[in-house]
Parts: sequence; C-alpha cells; structure tokens
Amino acid sequence: MAGWTVLILLVLVVASVPVAAVLGVLTLALDQMYMDGRLAVAIGEFTWDKSKEFVLVAVPMFILLGEIMLRAGIAKRMYEAVIQWLSWLPGGLMHANIGSCAIFAASSGSSVATAATVGTVAYPEMRKRNYNERLFLGSLAAGGTLGILIPPSINLIIYGLITDSSVPELYLAGIVPGVILATLFMLIIIVSCWYRRDWDGEKVETSWGQRIRTLPDLVPPILLFGVVVGSIYAGIATPTEAASVGVVFALILAALNRTLSVSMLREAFEGTMRTTAMIMIIILAAVFLNFILGFIGVTQALLQTIEALGLTPMQTMILLVGFYLVLGMFMETLSMLLTTVPIVFPIVVSLGFDPVWFGILVTVLMEAALITPPIGVNLYVVQGIRLQGGPFNDVAYGAAPFVVMMIVMVGLLLAFPELALWLPTAVYR
Amino acid sequence: MRFFETVHGWLTRVSHVAVWVGGAALLLSAIMVTVDVLCRKFLGVTMSGSDEITGYVFAASTTWAYSYTLLTRSNVRIDAAYNFMPIWLRSVLDIVGLALLLAYMAYLTDKAIDVFVTSWERDSVSITTLATPQWIPQLAWVMGLVLFCFTGAFVLLYSVVSLLRGDLVRVQQVAGAMNVEDEIASETHGLGVSTRGRDGGA
Repeated sequence: MAGWTVLILLVLVVASVPVAAVLGVLTLALDQMYMDGRLAVAIGEFTWDKSKEFVLVAVPMFILLGEIMLRAGIAKRMYEAVIQWLSWLPGGLMHANIGSCAIFAASSGSSVATAATVGTVAYPEMRKRNYNERLFLGSLAAGGTLGILIPPSINLIIYGLITDSSVPELYLAGIVPGVILATLFMLIIIVSCWYRRDWDGEKVETSWGQRIRTLPDLVPPILLFGVVVGSIYAGIATPTEAASVGVVFALILAALNRTLSVSMLREAFEGTMRTTAMIMIIILAAVFLNFILGFIGVTQALLQTIEALGLTPMQTMILLVGFYLVLGMFMETLSMLLTTVPIVFPIVVSLGFDPVWFGILVTVLMEAALITPPIGVNLYVVQGIRLQGGPFNDVAYGAAPFVVMMIVMVGLLLAFPELALWLPTAVYR
Repeated sequence: MRFFETVHGWLTRVSHVAVWVGGAALLLSAIMVTVDVLCRKFLGVTMSGSDEITGYVFAASTTWAYSYTLLTRSNVRIDAAYNFMPIWLRSVLDIVGLALLLAYMAYLTDKAIDVFVTSWERDSVSITTLATPQWIPQLAWVMGLVLFCFTGAFVLLYSVVSLLRGDLVRVQQVAGAMNVEDEIASETHGLGVSTRGRDGGA
C-alpha cells in the first residue's frame, strides 16, 4: 500500500505534473483501489469546510501584507539606516545585508521577496565599494532565507495547518533560532574577512549623530512587527486578525510614503491572489489526501516500516535531516513542504519529538534548500539582480559558507531543542 | 488559430478582473476585521460575524483566482527532470499534466456543485448569529471553480491543437512550466526589481 503510494507519487512528480494534480489524482486513485471510491464523494463538503476556515485566512492576509510592504518604498532608507549601525564590523556592508534581511523578514513572510528587495538596494553599493562579489552575493541569498524563519512566515502557517500545530507557538519558536542564525551568518562573514582581508570592502562613514538620525527609518518595519506579532502574544488577536491589522497598518504606511495608488494596489492584488490560489489549490488537495492516507492506513504502514529498521529516534531524525538536505537541492520549498510533511510528521511525533520544534527544524532545512544548487530559488533571485551579469557559480559558491552555518543551526536544534521551545513554553505551556 | 488567440485574450481579461475583485474583497475584509479587533479592544464591543464573512470572501476569492493562476502558468510543478527534456517531450508532459489537473478539478467542481444544490434545496443556514443562507457564498465559490474548468478545458484544447500543428513554442507559451526567470519576475512584479539588466529600486 505504502509502496503504491510512493510509486504513483514519484512517477507523477518526475513527469512534472502540477503538484495539486499529483496529490488529487493520488487521492482519487488510492480511494478507488482501497475504498471502492467511497471517501472521495465527500470531497465537496470537505473542501468547502476547509476553504472558509477563518484560521486559513491568515495565509492570504500575510501575503497581502507582504505585497503592500514591498511596494511601500521603505527598503532603501531602512538599508541605509542598518549600514550606520552594523557596517563597522569586519565585512562591513555584508552585515547590513544580513541585518536588513532579518528586519525585513519580520514584516514579510517570503524569502524570495526579502532577498529581491534587499538585494536590489545593496547591489550598487557592492560595486562602489569593491567587495568580494561571491561572498557579498552569498550573504544576500542567505540573508533572504530568514524570511521564512522569522515571523510572520507563510511556511510556518502552512506547516501549522497541515500538522494541526499552533501557529502562534510556531511563530514564537522561530524568533530565537532566527536571531541565532542571523548571528551565525554574521560570524562567518567576520571569520571570512579576517582570513582574507581583501574580501572586505571600503568602509562607510558612520557617526553616532548619523546613527541617531537614521533611527526613524527603522521604526516602520519594527512597529509593524510589534503590531502583528505583539498582538498575537498579548492575546488581543488571533493570527488572522493580527495579519488583517497588519494589512491596514501597511496600507497607512504606504499612504504616508505616497506610494499608495490604484495601480500599486492592483499589482499587490495580482501578486496576492496568484500566490494564494497557487498555495490553496495544493493545501486543499494535501489536506484531503492526508485524511485518506490516515483512513486507509498508509501512515500506519509507514510507521511500521520505520520501526522495523530498528533505529533510535535520534538516528531516524538525522536520517531525515539528510533526506531533506538532498531533496532540497532539487525541489522548490513549498512543494517539498506540502508533499513530505504529511507523510513524515506522524513518524516524527510517534518517535516522541515535539511538533513545534520539528516545524522550526524543517524550516531551517527549507532555508538550506533555497540556497543549495542546482534548484535554489534564492540563488537565482540574487543572480537576477546582478546588473553586470557573471557566472551563476559565483552565487552558489558564495552561499556555501552560509549553508554550513545552517547545518550548524540544525545541529544546535538537535542538541538543544530548548532553543526553539523555550519561548513558546514560557508563554503557553 | 485566430479564434484561440481571441478567446485566450478574453479569458485573460476575465481572470484579471476576477483577481482584482477578489483582492479588493480581501482588503475590505482586512479593514472590517481590524475595526472589529479595535472595537473589541478599546470599546469592549464585539461585532459578531466579521470572521464568518471573511471566511466566505476567502473561499470565493481563492477559487476566482484559480483561472488566473492557470493562465499565468503559476501552478507549482517540479521541473528538476523536466528542464532536461527535449521540447517535444516537455510539450507532451505539459498536456498530460494539464489534463490530470483538469480531471481532478472537474471531479471537485462536480462535488462542489452538489454541495451548492443541496444547500439550495434544503435552505441550509450557518449555525451562527448571522444565519447566512449557505447557498449564497457557495454559489460564489462554485462560480470560480466552474470558471477554472472552462479555462482549463480551453487551454487544453488550445495546446493539443498547437501540438498537432507542430507549434511547440506555442504549447510552451500556453501551458509550459515557468522557468526560474519567469517565476522571479512574477513574484516581484511592479517592484522595479529587474531580473536582467535594468536598474531599479524597490
């Protein structure tokens, strides 16, 4: 039974069939084979109930929030402010790249958008100040990945949905690892620039006076983060409500910046609805498939197979990490999340791991997937912003040290699960 | 082929309008929910129902965007192997993939219509203070699905005819998987983020 499932899945995936159709066809096929088609009849009722769920509305709201923020015109001034605060470190502007990405990630749920926005502002500075191109581009690709770890994150919402884990807990759990990972990125930049002085660029003039003057430019993104994430934890709002308040806040911000217009809104709507439809068509299929898999006992069969291997829980987890790292080289993150987590999650929970902790671990692995070739979307984003062009390998090599840091982060999470669980435990448990 | 081009252009315009309406409805829902949250926090008043209405808006706006997603070729496909295939094989797979997607969605739409018809016949209302007749939001939801099936059937026909005429480039344009440049361009459109060559600031 599990064999058939995996086989059908593989054939359809290799044939590049749309993921929604892969899951849908698999659902209908399994239902025909094992239940004489009795379950699939309920797909209409099932899908309607899921489609209107208020918790799910957080998905399009966070996407809309990100789309408006992207167009609100705050990126350039924010980057210049971060330069003032961070560029004294060895590695200069590369720290501003990481820092700006981390701050931008706190108002955006998408890694691609984070890398593209900060990258476009940062790239001209790299040429002007003679930085080592590889490391600089790598820092942009890697910094951008923080978008899905630091809340609000679209990936964490989706993980929460398909595993029935609490999104507020996942958001809290992402904060500490997000900050640690950003610090690890900065650490590897400092070490690299100590080792090779010529990789560093020319210093930027900074002064305390300028630092203080640029502070107001950091206020909008930080305030937005406070409004959205703060209201969830203060118990004032659910994630969906917080996202809605965030949308209104971003709208006001855009109006104050005089970037709000009908054509800007139309662009934002198109982007939002495209992504929402793309994600929802898969989520709805995945959730129904999950229901069928549980019903006909595929999940149970998989669990027995894993148990028969006789590995300790930690060995199984390390195997899983390896599996995700390899898979991440070839698969785009969202499809990876939606096709593997429904199958892997029951195994992980039965081995005694914490669902929220695993969500953070998977997210860090997704980040690695974004910057490992040949299919690493953020690498292509950064390659795309190079006005002068150049070999794609530059970006891939430049991102490699940051992949190492992500693996270190995975190791830290395995050794000290508290890194992710401390905040949610303190607040909720 | 003129006929196909005309219908394709017409469907594209319809799908754009559907997406703008859906997006605007979501934005209005966000404002409504925000007012609700602020009233609850500062005035201690709860307007019941904003969450329910938002749920309906979400369900309908999502299906209304399906046809746009199809026409912009944004459905997620895993192209690791696809990218290494010759164009004729890719074109065949484009058509197979589209046919499977359409088959699944047609099945879903058929069952969704059943849901709507049942609500209509039984006068089902939601078990909330709003007591919304369920057929109203369900009709909007089903309309998006029907639009998708219609669009899908048309795109399938268009690409099969193009394939039979040996016009593989057109099959790619109508039903091919997005390459990475297309993908980045559509995730950052309107931002001035250039994917090749042009200077821009976000």
